[in-house]
Amino acid sequence: MTKKSAILHFKAELVERPVLSGLIRDHDVSVNILQASVTPDEDGTMFVQVDGEPANVKRAFAYLDEMGVRLVFPAKNLVWDEERCTSCGACVAQCLPKALAVDEETNRISLDDSRCIACELCIPACPFGALESVTEHLG
Amino acid sequence: MKKTYEEINEKIKKGKAVVVTAEEIISMVRERGAKKTAAAVDVVTTATFGPMCSSGALLNTGHTRPRMNYKKAWINDVPAYCGIAAVDIYLGATAIPDDDPENKVFPGKFGYGGGHVIEELIAGREVVLRATSYGSQCYPRREIETRISLKDLPCATLLNPRNAYQNYNVAVNAKSRRSIYTYLGILRPNMGNATYCSAGELSPLMNDPHYRTIGIGTRILLGGGVGYVINHGTQHDPDVERNDRGVPTGGAGTLAVMGDMKGMNPKYVRGVSMTGYGVSLAVGIGVPIPVLDEEVVRACAISDADIVAPVWDYSDDYPNLKGEPIAHVTYAELRSGHILIGKKKVETASLSSLPLAREIAGLLKKRISAGRFLLSQPAETLPGAGSKITCGPLAERPVKKTSSRARPR
Repeated sequence: MTKKSAILHFKAELVERPVLSGLIRDHDVSVNILQASVTPDEDGTMFVQVDGEPANVKRAFAYLDEMGVRLVFPAKNLVWDEERCTSCGACVAQCLPKALAVDEETNRISLDDSRCIACELCIPACPFGALESVTEHLG
Repeated sequence: MKKTYEEINEKIKKGKAVVVTAEEIISMVRERGAKKTAAAVDVVTTATFGPMCSSGALLNTGHTRPRMNYKKAWINDVPAYCGIAAVDIYLGATAIPDDDPENKVFPGKFGYGGGHVIEELIAGREVVLRATSYGSQCYPRREIETRISLKDLPCATLLNPRNAYQNYNVAVNAKSRRSIYTYLGILRPNMGNATYCSAGELSPLMNDPHYRTIGIGTRILLGGGVGYVINHGTQHDPDVERNDRGVPTGGAGTLAVMGDMKGMNPKYVRGVSMTGYGVSLAVGIGVPIPVLDEEVVRACAISDADIVAPVWDYSDDYPNLKGEPIAHVTYAELRSGHILIGKKKVETASLSSLPLAREIAGLLKKRISAGRFLLSQPAETLPGAGSKITCGPLAERPVKKTSSRARPR
């Protein structure tokens, strides 16, 4: 069994459709909704934990992607926007468990979520707004 | 073996120029020597990407109907300077909205400012221009509020008075017992970490330490588009002590640059929020260096191990403009992830992005190789050591208190 957290971003038109029923019924996974903001005719967000056989969990996320749900996978409580990240290194100096690190060859930043302790010290250190807590991300 | 700008440009036009980056040339010179490398290579590309204060956008909005002479103007609530002409405004990178909470609840977030507006404009997004004035007979209008985007502006020039510092400080917190929030990031107490901000061996002025080829009129890549060096930058200070390779051992030369924002890529011009400090703009700059002779190649062969930077205490010495560097360390040490200060091992982190600097050096290399970017010979070289251009502290003089509106003369 495997457990994976994700933030789902729904476009307004998707809010009308029964996306989660398909997820649970067709993929044999259990879904724990930790936080949700879904209102008719507006873009919505949902923070979920998906639990099941690894292959099923993988297919479940592929299904969501196919449905047009934008998926964001946080590390513990941290959302890292790789598009906004310039790989400077300002966060690395604040990350005591070394979840955020600079690759010696490429000098690019990597994030090892198994090491992240959700202390959030890296968030205010990022000059480019590339790091957010899940709460900030859900707005 | 000597080459002229004309000869190099002829090769570029024919698509036959040999172009390498300032990183690639290091091993070439090590393996083949300077003489052979100078014969083989025509252009070396250098680059840097990092927060660079003293940046801003010179914008002309086009005239309003009826006409208006802006006295105060804001873009997305960030104030811009209007004291230039009717609809010319200068939006500084470090400007923040009038109602920004600043550091009232410390440390402030500084989530949005001039740098972010510049990024949004270059990204093609709509922003809101608001302006007020007093009205005159030829410029009667008193207020305006409208959406604008970059393509609507008759003129939008990134005009940065000081970029691309030749070398820069390494910052530590030596004396405060709490974390301090600086423009070089968050510094933990007891020298818990050290931050620096330079592309080192890839950085433009590190590869042209005596300003032989980079000067007024040098065509560069600015924010991914074409730009020019227009002068030595503010605080240009060529007399800083130099090492045996001629590279300054602290911040020294700087560049004033400009370029048309309409040709730029928002990936290389980015708003920056420094918690507890303020906002700024991260700028990507690529500068080509023509291989005129062996000397140029020798200078470009400089590597991180040959360049030292001063370590300053940002908890006391730096803010109070006193004291001396705590130590000097090489960029090779800084890149290794930690430096030794006395017996203390201090973790290091960079504020400038080496991957993006590499990308920009590669982009410039590609454009020159493809014959799409020619080199320009500077109209004037930048002031060098002994030029008397220098940068010292402000000497304050007491002001006589006189009646209300009198100005000191």
